[in-house]
Amino acid sequence: MANLADFRYTMESCNHCGQCKWILPAKMKGWDFASICPLHEYHGFDAYSGQGLVQIAKERLDGKLDYGDGLETLLHTCTACGACDINCKSVRDMEVLDTIYALREDCAKAGYLPEPLRRTAENVEETHNIYGEPHAERFSWLPPDFKNDTEADTALFVGCSAYRHPEIPLAAIRILRAGGVKFKLLYEDEWCCGASLWRSGQREAAEKLISRNVDTFHRHGIKTLITACAECFGAFCGGYPRFSDTGGLEFRHISQVAAKLIAKGSLPLKKGENPLRVAYHDPCMLGRLSEKYVPWNGKIRPFGLHVPEKQWRRGEHGVYEEPRAVLRALEGVTLCEMTRNFEQALCCGANARDVDAEFAAWTAAERRREAKASGAEAVVSCCPFCQDALGGEGENPLPYLDLAVLLADRLREEA
Amino acid sequence: MALSCDAYRELAAIVGERYISSKQHILAGNRVKTPEIPFEYHSPDAILLPGSTEEVAAIVKVCNKYGISFIPFVSGVLPDAYANREGTVLIHLKRMNRILEINEEDRYAVIEPGVRHVQLYPEVRKRGLSYTAASVGPGGSVLANFTSTSGDHHTQYGTSRANRYLLSVEMVTPEGEILRTGSLPSGCGWFCPDGPGPGLRSIVRGYFGSHGQLGIITKAAIGLEACKGPAEYRTEGISPHHRVIFDSDLSRVYVFNYDNIQKVCDAMLALGEAEVCSTVQKYFYLPLTLLMTDSANDFWKKWTGGYKEAMSMPLVVHIAAQSLREREYEEKILFDVVRETGGVRLPEELENWWSEHMDFFMVVSRLQSVLRLGGGWMPLKLGADSVQHVCDVGQSIGEYIYEFTETGKIFDAPENYQIIPMEYGHFAHIELLFMWDRTNPAAMKGVGEFRARSRQEDLRRHFHAEDLGCLNPTMEELGPLYSNCHIWMRKIKESFDPNDVANPML
Repeated sequence: MANLADFRYTMESCNHCGQCKWILPAKMKGWDFASICPLHEYHGFDAYSGQGLVQIAKERLDGKLDYGDGLETLLHTCTACGACDINCKSVRDMEVLDTIYALREDCAKAGYLPEPLRRTAENVEETHNIYGEPHAERFSWLPPDFKNDTEADTALFVGCSAYRHPEIPLAAIRILRAGGVKFKLLYEDEWCCGASLWRSGQREAAEKLISRNVDTFHRHGIKTLITACAECFGAFCGGYPRFSDTGGLEFRHISQVAAKLIAKGSLPLKKGENPLRVAYHDPCMLGRLSEKYVPWNGKIRPFGLHVPEKQWRRGEHGVYEEPRAVLRALEGVTLCEMTRNFEQALCCGANARDVDAEFAAWTAAERRREAKASGAEAVVSCCPFCQDALGGEGENPLPYLDLAVLLADRLREEA
Repeated sequence: MALSCDAYRELAAIVGERYISSKQHILAGNRVKTPEIPFEYHSPDAILLPGSTEEVAAIVKVCNKYGISFIPFVSGVLPDAYANREGTVLIHLKRMNRILEINEEDRYAVIEPGVRHVQLYPEVRKRGLSYTAASVGPGGSVLANFTSTSGDHHTQYGTSRANRYLLSVEMVTPEGEILRTGSLPSGCGWFCPDGPGPGLRSIVRGYFGSHGQLGIITKAAIGLEACKGPAEYRTEGISPHHRVIFDSDLSRVYVFNYDNIQKVCDAMLALGEAEVCSTVQKYFYLPLTLLMTDSANDFWKKWTGGYKEAMSMPLVVHIAAQSLREREYEEKILFDVVRETGGVRLPEELENWWSEHMDFFMVVSRLQSVLRLGGGWMPLKLGADSVQHVCDVGQSIGEYIYEFTETGKIFDAPENYQIIPMEYGHFAHIELLFMWDRTNPAAMKGVGEFRARSRQEDLRRHFHAEDLGCLNPTMEELGPLYSNCHIWMRKIKESFDPNDVANPML
């Protein structure tokens, strides 16, 4: 996390070119599906965009703007999907998303955190999960005969979504077992990853939780942490290094592990009953926002020279290929690409649900419309939050499939 | 000055409460300042998002009734699109974003203001057509490109200036009347700018663009050109290292360096005479390097590591052919011309970058990376005349820019201008791009000084290179150079806009 003042260079560099709102020219396909910022597309005013929020941040830093008249809602309606950030950084050296994070921290400090986000934070504090469910029930979905490999230095981090979607960690367990991966579960020592805290600007709470989690991982002798949740994965890679030294820890998404096992021939797969055309939705926190965050505390000299040189997170090295490799390995499954894919993917809208449910529903429906337009019969992703958004009710209904669940269903019986 | 309650209520009744706001944080999104621009910005009092021509007309009438200034707005790339006096509303045309027609037979497209380059370009390309997409990035308004600014860019070598492609338009006059020009009011469709029917193109658009001063154009037809190259292209890789894959047998890029502008001029004229090549331009050498870099740090390594010298006066040529034979024919002429004019081909490792990024020539990709040095950036000149004339203008820049580069007020790149021959060299566009450090107060002050100096030098030498623009002081200064056209422009403005509410510039 950082202060607004740390991003003055970004605020003063913006030439309002609009690249934060639109797909890259080289990837454009036509009139439809050209916008990459659902916030701007839905609400219309430029304040609802990366460019607008950067300008708002500047006025806030200069003491010219106050919360209390809806700014706090606007700020948290943004899903922080990072499309603006990545597209801006395709041509510029600016930190749009980190400026938005800093503005959120400023908002929290000023005491204007929207109520649903405050409640989430209380849930995490009291029950160690975002839903306020009893901590003791975090692993209640686990079969009674599950044997934990306590000696393993790899752990499966199931995440809070296990309360809502236990089929996902169960599928992950089947895949890991089938591939011969030794791993353990942390049971009561597993707490929320903290994504919702750091992404909503609650620095102190996030720092406390993340430090606790990293200590826990080390205490359990963990070297590799696997998760089937894109949000947890993005938090580990892009969030944790902001608060804690994650040296010695490797983070893997289940799609990466599965793709590797498939490539090695370690997963025995059976053919599906019916051919299926699917569109793969790149979760923001697995794709463009999953590059490792490397802290930088240097100076910006005239004409943009960063001293020492900064390691930029431009979204290039996110997890894009492995989920597609898994899908391509499933006989009978045909992968349809949407116009806005890979680093250009449109967000599912899930992160806005608590603050602006109407906008979140519109965003999910828009994404389903695009998936349908690609010729897909179902949309596949690997994030439980995307599942809630895309698999929920609303316009343009389309079946949703979780990648891990789809893959686990294709494992042969002997696996 | 806030809008009166009555005015706000009447405006809200037109667009609906969802599409109007006067909340400070919403206004902040369009309170963007370009601090080095020498006129005072103000906060808009409200922002409106109309959905139709009728709504725009009704808004304009309310503005006239209450004496509220209005500025039509789409992408906001240019500083003219921000509130320049108190009591101003922004009429954001984002929602009016339909492509109404693409006529393949008569080669025109009818669009609303909210249609962006990123949307129209692929649609016309699918039909084997193209247009001159201005160098403003993907979110730029196509309509504003053709109606409100000079709209020029680097692929116009075989075509012409944007103003020549504007056909019929539908506009809301500064008093709120809906006006249709060209062939449109006669029921003959959109294809013709000058009738049957009133031919007002020169008035509503002019040479440099109206900048919203004569009302709001709500629909426009633009002429299209046949394009060479694939109807759709394939892109590989993840940004920022993605690449558009072209058929390399039919598309080629060559970059040559010269040691003086006269030789470049001779090469441009010779290639134009032969009517070969798809793009020919003397490009800015600073952006040339910037386009090839991943970060400002990467730029500094390359700029100080030999790129500056290797590409000090680059002639960039793109050949797009329909057949191998056509490509070979054009290459033969190109190489003959370059040999005769003393050009030196760039080393393979430098030229290859361009071959791998030909989307730059098709869709003006990646252009904003020229702003990578912190955003202090401004184009000057932007006028057009004969190729020789604008080359003379370019030559003259070196005689006065040193006072500013040597004092650190602007980036030390004296040859940083581009010349784009148009209509195969019948005339050419010149643009001087200068950059400064926004964190340096002396540099911020130097911006205005350099702009003024550039104008004075052109006046002194009788150069037709400076864009008259839409600022009154600039028009007063440069008008005499252009047959006192500023007097006529003012009279037209006063006739159309008696209440002086349509983007009244200082």
